[in-house]
Amino acid sequence: MGSSSTPEPPPLDDATLVALDEVEEGEAILAQQADTGEVAHEATLGGEEAGGGRGWATAAWGAPGFAWLGFFLLAPLIFIVLVSFWTRTDIGFSKTWTLDNYSQLFHDQTYWHNMLTSFETSLIAVFLCLLIGFPVAYFLALKVEKMQYQIGLFVVALAPFWTSFLTRSVAWTYPLMGREGALNQVLTKLGVSSLDDPLFDIGFSTTSVRLAMVQLYVLFMVTPLFFNLSQLDRTALEAARDLGGNWFSTFRAVILPQIMPGVVIGSIFIFVLTMGEYGTVTVIGGNGVSSVGTIVQSKVVAIQYPQGAASAVLLLLALVVGVFVITRFANLRKEL
Amino acid sequence: MRRRRRTDWAKWALGIYFVLFLIFLYTPMMLMGVLSFQGVYGAITFPFRGPVGLRWWHALFDSSLPSSHAAEIQSAGAQSLWVSFAAGAIVAVLAFTLSMAFRRKFPLQGLAFYVIMLALMTPGYLLALGTQLFWKFMGIDTSLWKTALGTNVVWGIPFGFLVMLAVWNRYDYHIEEAARDLGADQKRAFREVTLPLVWTGIFGGFLFGFTLMWNDYDRTVLLLSGSEASTLPVQIAGLTLTTAIRPDLYALGMATTLLSLFTIALVLGVVGVRLRLRATPVHKVEEEFGLGGGLEVESEAPPSSAS
Repeated sequence: MGSSSTPEPPPLDDATLVALDEVEEGEAILAQQADTGEVAHEATLGGEEAGGGRGWATAAWGAPGFAWLGFFLLAPLIFIVLVSFWTRTDIGFSKTWTLDNYSQLFHDQTYWHNMLTSFETSLIAVFLCLLIGFPVAYFLALKVEKMQYQIGLFVVALAPFWTSFLTRSVAWTYPLMGREGALNQVLTKLGVSSLDDPLFDIGFSTTSVRLAMVQLYVLFMVTPLFFNLSQLDRTALEAARDLGGNWFSTFRAVILPQIMPGVVIGSIFIFVLTMGEYGTVTVIGGNGVSSVGTIVQSKVVAIQYPQGAASAVLLLLALVVGVFVITRFANLRKEL
Repeated sequence: MRRRRRTDWAKWALGIYFVLFLIFLYTPMMLMGVLSFQGVYGAITFPFRGPVGLRWWHALFDSSLPSSHAAEIQSAGAQSLWVSFAAGAIVAVLAFTLSMAFRRKFPLQGLAFYVIMLALMTPGYLLALGTQLFWKFMGIDTSLWKTALGTNVVWGIPFGFLVMLAVWNRYDYHIEEAARDLGADQKRAFREVTLPLVWTGIFGGFLFGFTLMWNDYDRTVLLLSGSEASTLPVQIAGLTLTTAIRPDLYALGMATTLLSLFTIALVLGVVGVRLRLRATPVHKVEEEFGLGGGLEVESEAPPSSAS
């Protein structure tokens, strides 16, 4: 028993894995589908037959949660859509139906420009996170043999997720980027750049925002990839190697199909969260960078609620379309 | 032998890459931390202007220092702390009860699941706008304790819920059946069997609720009423908008970050001690990550299997 290749884990690991649980959204989504689909149906509290009446009794457990979500999530979202069709007044809005808010937005060049910039930023963030995050997940899942080290290193990589994005944005912008920032100073010392003619004067710029997005969100990609990769069928990897496959062909034939769900989940997260970003854009971008969030904000400040709502609705539509397109890359349900 | 050496190279290369990745992740914070220990003439960029000291950290607490923001920071800090505790508690309860509902099938379950996922997917700023409009329409003023707390709980629920799903996933329902076979009624089985086994997950929900609220800016900023004390993230953002940014902003950022990290460490520690004390863990770590494969050995397996 002791000779088994999986060492008996010390209790500390059980502690750290709680942290892992808490971020394994992707895993849990997958697990849930399988679970509620069939298993939960049979294995239930008390084990009674799940008749229609029992079903409602179970749903009663969810009542407080769904009431909260209904009041604080669904109602506000529905209300955004409603207000976007209402008329603007000096103090807010009145219940007169109109399409003006949308037609004004459609003719607003800056709005579309900012929307596109936001979209581009999100796409770049998704691709860079995938590119930068994959080797990290690969290293943790397949190259670190000891479970203790694997979990320990993962927690170290994960810790920043728990801290404020806003504070991390401040840390990113002021001491690091910009003309006087540490990055430009180091480059100056190396003779690559100079303080008068800086190579990296990107303190408040779109470039800085995009780089920061990667730094802030890359863990949303690393986490699902890590869980996918650690569940990888290792015998298939060995088989591919024994059959003479090089790393690249093994990757394409064996690894890639198995990690697609993780890629998709990570991409959805990063795409949605970066598209809707507001606070970090204002801190990192200063006044120079606009996103959909800052547009909405400028409308709110100008008490143009209906127009703000309309631009928010368009953002929501863009998100839905984006998520739909991303899910085309892997049939999540089928993968389960 | 040769083969092993070749694998090692890839491992080392990836290891170095991992270290670089950590540097990329942690450098901004570390620069900020270092610069928060400057002297009176400290600025927001290098070079470091000594002497090394806690002057800017002091400025967070001592309002008698010139142009200190200590008063606002302290009231914001207290607000943040209490409202985050509240958010954590509510998220823990709601995420747990929601996950209880999902233990068996109920009508419209698929739709219900998507509603919870919608909470995860809705950009915070949009939700804050919607909430503001909705409450404005109802004629109620928004405030930290009503609306900002409500929206942040929405943001925390899916995280806590998914943690609970993961817990139920590796939970052995037979234990409950056994309890009831032994004569426990449903309430007692729940209190004495179910809860003790899954409370770490509930605690996870609390942790999520707490840290998400503690760190939130996008949701809170639109929903504060003008007269009340803000939260720390709103305070931090406010400081970046003032004309002269000083190292006390860095000290404040470091302080909130340290509290976040301290909370996690504390919870991990508590859970670790708790698991150490429990004689037989429900499951093994390998199973948690699906890494057990065919190798896993039941902890209760008789010693005969070793020979």
